Amino acid sequence: MSKSQHDRTHHAKKATGIGDPQCFKGEAGRAKFKVGDRVRVKDLPDIFYSRTQTYPRGAVGTVTMPVYESPAPEDEAWDNTDKPEWFYSVKFRQKDLWPDYPDLYANDTVETEFSERWLEKA
Amino acid sequence: MSEQHKPAPMVDEVSDFEVLEMAVRELAIEKGLFSAEDHRRWTEYVHSLGPLPAARLVAKAWLDPEYKKLAVTDGVKASLQVGVDWINSPPTGFGTPSDYCALRVLEDTPKLKHVVVCTLCSCYPRPILGQSPEWYRTPNYRRRLVRWPRQVLAEFGLQLAPDVEIRVADSNQKTRYIVLPVRPAGTEGWTEERLAEIVTRDCLIGVAVPKPGVTANAKRPVHPAVHPVHHGH
Repeated sequence: MSKSQHDRTHHAKKATGIGDPQCFKGEAGRAKFKVGDRVRVKDLPDIFYSRTQTYPRGAVGTVTMPVYESPAPEDEAWDNTDKPEWFYSVKFRQKDLWPDYPDLYANDTVETEFSERWLEKA
Repeated sequence: MSEQHKPAPMVDEVSDFEVLEMAVRELAIEKGLFSAEDHRRWTEYVHSLGPLPAARLVAKAWLDPEYKKLAVTDGVKASLQVGVDWINSPPTGFGTPSDYCALRVLEDTPKLKHVVVCTLCSCYPRPILGQSPEWYRTPNYRRRLVRWPRQVLAEFGLQLAPDVEIRVADSNQKTRYIVLPVRPAGTEGWTEERLAEIVTRDCLIGVAVPKPGVTANAKRPVHPAVHPVHHGH
């Protein structure tokens, strides 16, 4: 078998002294969502790798902040860093994730992050 | 050699994951991704970490409103003042594939309590908090905290009033979190050092709140054994 020509140190070269995700800053273009936007988490296929949990899929939450730009984990897992995208921190009411969450604790929330491809306007 | 005199195995049990780690590590070294020396340096670095810098960050933020503002807006920058350089301290010079250089300091208020989990694996802000406790990595904690946060916190001895919002931070991507708890009453006039002592690891994860007199490094009483064992040989 011929030797792989893939440069396995390209990430280290790019990120050393800068940090990850800082090294992807400015590569994702305009952020599609802003603070306060209501978004729904899509239920995309994830047969290989994903970091989108099952429990928030289909749920509607509020963007608390755009956090950084980075390749989505679905790409990065295969060392594909060509198309970084914006990541957002999204807050959900527990009630919207678990229908039988007690009404007494209606204020309780969960906050977690998604890359842009996983979100749509709600 | 008879059956009774077989030497005991040096290692009782090696899990599948340990075997996998060794196999991947040896392949990576063989392929030249890193050297055995790099790996040893990394292990040494990771084992030198602990929660003290994060405790100092919290104590500083309690005393200095300007620093608190910096901490909640740029955790990585605020970490520099307590001796943690997220980018350059790790031997790699850019963090690691699991210790990214993104820290959010989650500020509690009397009506908002944060608690941190990683439901997908066990992401943890290691550069500023050291190795995660064993329970943090268990499926039990990871599965239940997002679904029944009040019950899980109660198991840690933390019961919160219904009107306090519990916000679970699920670190599923590159951001790592620590909690900036509310400064407890009874700590008026304390120095930064004294305040840092009551900010234990669990307070920084969010499963406990700081209390005057409860410190991680307090001396514990040593009781003599009720039925001591005497070694006569």
